[in-house]
Amino acid sequence: MTSFMPRALNRTALILFPAFDWCISPTHPEREERLLYTRDQLIEEGLEDVDNIVFLNPELASHADIDRVHLCAPSSHKLLTESHLISAGATLRVARAVMDKEADNAFAIVRPPGHHAMQTVFGDRGFCIVNIEAIMIEYIRRHYGVKKIAIVDTDCHHGDGTQDIYYNDPDTLFISLHQDGRTLFPGTGFIRESGGPAANGYTINLPLPPNTGEDGFDMVMERVVMPILDEFKPELIINSAGQDNHYTDPITNMNFTAQGYARLNQRLNPDICVLEGGYSIEGALPYTNLGIILAMAGMDYSHVKEPDYDQARFRQPEEMTKYIAGVCDKALEVFENRGKSKEEALKKKVVSERKNIFYDTTGFNVDEVRQYHLCPDCPGFTEVTATSPRARIHAYTVPFNACPTCQRTARDLFGATQPIPQTITALQDRVADIYETK
Amino acid sequence: MIIGIDVGGTHADGVLLEGARLVAKHKVAVDQEHLSESIISLLGALVPNDRRQLERVHLSSTLATNAIVTGNLDPIGMLIQAGPGINPDFLANNGPTWFLDGAIDHRGHIIRDPDLRLIDEAVAAMLEAGIKSVGIVTKFSHRNSLHERFIADRLGARFPHICMGHQISGLPNFPRRVYTTWLNASLTARFAQFEKAIEQGLTQLGVDCPCHILKADGGTIPFARAIEFPCESVHSGPSASVMGCLALADQSEDAILLDIGGTTTDISLLVDGTPLLEPYGINIAGRPTLIRALNTVSIGLGGDSTVAFADDAFRIGPRRSGPPMAQGGTTPTPTDALVVLGLLAVGSAEKAAAAMQCLCPGEPPADTASRLLTAFAERISQEVAAMIDSVFSRPVYTVSALLQRRRITPEKLIVIGGPAAALKQSLENCFNLPCLVPTDYEVANAIGAARTQLTVQATLYADTADGRVSIPEISCLEDISNRFGMAEAESKLEQVICGIASDMGMTGRPTIDFLERLEMNVIRGFETSGKILNLKAQIRPGLADIQGEQP
Repeated sequence: MTSFMPRALNRTALILFPAFDWCISPTHPEREERLLYTRDQLIEEGLEDVDNIVFLNPELASHADIDRVHLCAPSSHKLLTESHLISAGATLRVARAVMDKEADNAFAIVRPPGHHAMQTVFGDRGFCIVNIEAIMIEYIRRHYGVKKIAIVDTDCHHGDGTQDIYYNDPDTLFISLHQDGRTLFPGTGFIRESGGPAANGYTINLPLPPNTGEDGFDMVMERVVMPILDEFKPELIINSAGQDNHYTDPITNMNFTAQGYARLNQRLNPDICVLEGGYSIEGALPYTNLGIILAMAGMDYSHVKEPDYDQARFRQPEEMTKYIAGVCDKALEVFENRGKSKEEALKKKVVSERKNIFYDTTGFNVDEVRQYHLCPDCPGFTEVTATSPRARIHAYTVPFNACPTCQRTARDLFGATQPIPQTITALQDRVADIYETK
Repeated sequence: MIIGIDVGGTHADGVLLEGARLVAKHKVAVDQEHLSESIISLLGALVPNDRRQLERVHLSSTLATNAIVTGNLDPIGMLIQAGPGINPDFLANNGPTWFLDGAIDHRGHIIRDPDLRLIDEAVAAMLEAGIKSVGIVTKFSHRNSLHERFIADRLGARFPHICMGHQISGLPNFPRRVYTTWLNASLTARFAQFEKAIEQGLTQLGVDCPCHILKADGGTIPFARAIEFPCESVHSGPSASVMGCLALADQSEDAILLDIGGTTTDISLLVDGTPLLEPYGINIAGRPTLIRALNTVSIGLGGDSTVAFADDAFRIGPRRSGPPMAQGGTTPTPTDALVVLGLLAVGSAEKAAAAMQCLCPGEPPADTASRLLTAFAERISQEVAAMIDSVFSRPVYTVSALLQRRRITPEKLIVIGGPAAALKQSLENCFNLPCLVPTDYEVANAIGAARTQLTVQATLYADTADGRVSIPEISCLEDISNRFGMAEAESKLEQVICGIASDMGMTGRPTIDFLERLEMNVIRGFETSGKILNLKAQIRPGLADIQGEQP
């Protein structure tokens, strides 16, 4: 029988939730209009009728899903609106679609985004309050027992929140491709940021120079991302699919394209994509989102081109190509040396790190100290103390892959800690799925 | 008085109504090859002696549906302009197709005009092939119809029928627009002949009142307008049955409507008393379309469905292999179960009991029969649950819409069709809801056709940053000021719908529902540069007010 609609080779689940009634502020890049043109393009293309593409509605994440990942001050109830619970809930819904084999892969095209949200949360950072990928990953681990997961962040901004949450977890490989932090928010994501003492080499940063185009991204995918993934052998690959590397994006300086994004996803073959940034709402998003969907679905994306696309315009200069090759080499070296520093760190038993976190949306700083309690049998638990001008968090956080001894030690330490006024004292135990405060 | 005629595959039913009162009913066999003759003979039996009393004739027609099923369509040419997006090659599977190279974007901005040489080459090839009817569709023509109209102008008078996508529907979905336009163009010549034959027949009968055609959305359209949009006449059967149920058992809550026949059961849903529509349109011959239609699901389950019993479960349908055993058939059917339980008095009770023995040897036939009817009702109930789920899962795009979603909660069942009365108890038990079987249900469809009023839908897209408003259904593309707001948009769309309704012969002011209202600020560089307004409104499917005496 003749088929009158194309058929996707892969069964692909989509959540398209533009939240037309939510914004950070009316003229903010993260405003109601952001996914209007994307919605219009996807619907006009008739994607809803393509065989093997299924559209799902989001659901609301519960506060327990949030508290499994984040340490919120004053609390997740107070910080999150329904819009945040929906955008996080959408990732849980697509995760279930993939894990329950309802779909081969899935893409949550939702807002607000999440990859700048760190483990401690005092407010909105870089348009994000909670890290929707991390909430999804810990949900998957909790409900489906998946261990090794790779996150490839292709947003133009460094995925500093995701990096922060998984910094000391050797079972989560975090790779971020982004515009060099010397030239763009959040100003991090250098190669030397390579993971905590128990997971060194499992955070791979690929800072790319402004104006990197298709050739540069192709090179990074080919030389670094794919070989590392082949070696790490994750059970799931997640793409933090920001689309602001696009040549028309108003707040970044890269030269990537819809064709480039589609090719990247075809190569990466992620199980789940989650939309992150991307603020060229008319000239890029309708095309990049469509390109990514078609690539995931295994359909022909060769006709998905921006109206003013001209491949010749974006040829990279020779020097830039050489520079990017150098970044690739250094990143590969980081991965090759993975896990080597743990022996040395174990001798110290506890390793401290201090950092300053800037909340750009309302403009305040948080001083954070993390004490990694190391263990030969597991990544160990972490004691976090974070202080903002208005609140303080003091927490013990036990990762999903902690051993019973570390789990018990963290609980005992929490039990012995005296509550202090204005301080959230918390135990976050992902093994037992417990979040307690006092 | 109104005549309603419902044409089915083998028979046509007609009724003459005075208000809601059934004055006369009649049935004739239908010859699909000579459809207009069958209809005229049925009309002849129904027209009142005083022709002046007849206000309207409402007709459902199987012409379009049959032409599609038998592949008996006019050869046409399609001119398609896709622009960036999914590879459009799959759209050429209908027949002769020419792709043009212009492009319009999601906001209706023209990116590139089509190359004139490509249009002219297509014209030459179509003339050479003897093509008389042409369909023209561009992507995003609901936002900007200029290219479709430009191409149509270029074709000029060289083709007797030109059909443009934007006129058929203002909804998005390019492949659906292509298929709907293709279907419409393919039916144009054939439908015009049919209209002529009916007109002649009516004249011979001395009838000169307006004649309307039933649509798939539970509404009607004047015959004269259906000539331009013959695709609207497709698949009107379920719509007649739903409107018939409404006419016979009017109600204002959520309800399940069932039309149980010999081989199939049609299911539809009422939400607050209004029939539920498909979000875009129905699928016809494997093609998704923008033909507005009621949301109905037809399952292969009826009184005469073949029944088998295996693994402790009944398998009912989807086929029918001859009459029930009670009536001399060879395979057990649900009808046999109804006979065994004394719910239906047809054929032989012994043979019906034998049918139950065939299914479950050694069991008392009455037990088997009641288990079979339970299974029958459960099958319908599963299907209803799936429908309600799928309506609940329709995509929403705002936080408030997501939080306010309401699941349809039926308060009752309204059931028509041959075995309806006999199945009442089983359905009530299974659904745990009251089940209503209206009287005169055997002519429900014809009554539905008679009582239905016209429906209209139109959409408006205004972009004040561009200073333009588009109402595709009337090919409107006008300049607007940057102060154009929601109130103006609503009143403009209301006027358009009233205008269309009055052109179609509606007297009095219709009730208009706004189905979608989107208002979005367009921000460029931290400044508001304008507003986008997107509205969809309709005259909803419903029963015409009854003039004169009440029953």
